[in-house]
Amino acid sequence: MAFGAVPGRAAESARKHGGSMKEHARYFWAYIPALGALGHGAAAALADRPVPGFVLALWGVCFLFVAFVIVRSILQERSKDEFTTRQLLQAQKMATIGEMASGIAHEVNNPLAVIGRETEWIQEILKEHPPPDVQARREVRESLEVIAAQVGRCAEITHRLLDFARKSEPVLQWVDINALIEEMVRLVERVTRGKNLTIERRYQENLAPVWTDPPLLRQVVLNLLNNAVQAIEKEGSITVMTRDDAMGWVDIAIADTGCGIAPHHLPHLFDPFFSTKGPERGTGLGLAVCQKIVTALGGLILVDSKEGCGSQFTVRLPRRPIASRKTFE
Amino acid sequence: MASSTARILLVDDEDRFRTTMGKLLRKRGFEVEEAGSAHEALVRVQQGDVDVIVLDVKMPGMDGIQALAKIKALDPLPEVIILTGHANVDAAVEIMRLGGYEYLLKPCPIDDLVVKIDGALEKKRAREKILRG
Repeated sequence: MAFGAVPGRAAESARKHGGSMKEHARYFWAYIPALGALGHGAAAALADRPVPGFVLALWGVCFLFVAFVIVRSILQERSKDEFTTRQLLQAQKMATIGEMASGIAHEVNNPLAVIGRETEWIQEILKEHPPPDVQARREVRESLEVIAAQVGRCAEITHRLLDFARKSEPVLQWVDINALIEEMVRLVERVTRGKNLTIERRYQENLAPVWTDPPLLRQVVLNLLNNAVQAIEKEGSITVMTRDDAMGWVDIAIADTGCGIAPHHLPHLFDPFFSTKGPERGTGLGLAVCQKIVTALGGLILVDSKEGCGSQFTVRLPRRPIASRKTFE
Repeated sequence: MASSTARILLVDDEDRFRTTMGKLLRKRGFEVEEAGSAHEALVRVQQGDVDVIVLDVKMPGMDGIQALAKIKALDPLPEVIILTGHANVDAAVEIMRLGGYEYLLKPCPIDDLVVKIDGALEKKRAREKILRG
């Protein structure tokens, strides 16, 4: 499977890169012959003797090596800076979009409420004074039901926008991740009963508990499961996996055998309002909210997808985040 | 369905929304009065005999949160349901702290509002019973 837009991978890679001092310290052994050669050459120069050829060669090799280490460090620092700048820009973008979204949602809610009330009032009048013509009565009733349903749909969008813009502090506690996921899987199984869809569990036994916020994590898992269900057109399977590693990370992976994601869509997956689903099925806020939550919980989301074959979303959480006690905004 | 004696005060500066909501609630057996601003609502609360107040937040002059504090100072008995298009966690916390009964986000179906009004009425009557001993 091909890796695509994976903000998490960049984060991981940046974490692996140390500072330039660390880089030099890693190659301290290379400086021992360099210092030796320098000393030998300096002694020869002071004694007015010609500097031996092997010392000159050693100087050359050491010079090239030091140059290599310096260039490598500069490139790594630059890549780290680029990553930080990208993260900062993304955070600023999300904050601006969040503010705009909440402003729009507030302003739209009031006229929506008026439309909703008027519809309910007309429905009320029609109950008492129905049009005499049967066909007209049926059509008016149907039209009003459509208006009410569309008001409900708009309300769902504005309420989601407000959710997206909402600030809330994660409330952390030790959580049994397998149990939390199983709750959500059962919920999805109930909803998808009767479809040609199977959900396979591959939970790691004795998985380490995670210090996290259960309602926020439930929201993420449910969202990813719903996306997996929607990605499967006719029949297929979803595999839910959990595992932990010695480095203190716990992975929750949700893989589907659905339609997969086109490579050109991958860089935009976590952008608010980006959706590959039709307007009937998505607002384009689900993954943006997931990423916001997972980031606030100190983790990251990895994506692995191949068009036509399926996708895998992996939520990687630290068992105990150090700096995650920040506002989810 | 609420008892016919339940008196509801609707406070919203959006005239059409308020009047239509009033008509719908009257159809469901409530006695409904309307106020187009927080000031009007305070005058009405001072006169007494209001069971439940449905209060908007964003209104010119005085907002719903300020109005809630003043209503509770004038008469702590009526239950207040906030019905607003402006959701905000801080405001919701403040509303609950000031003694608001419920916080609803517009648009919400009239039946959902009626369920909350019934709950508020029940709470108000239980409190009255306790106060009377």
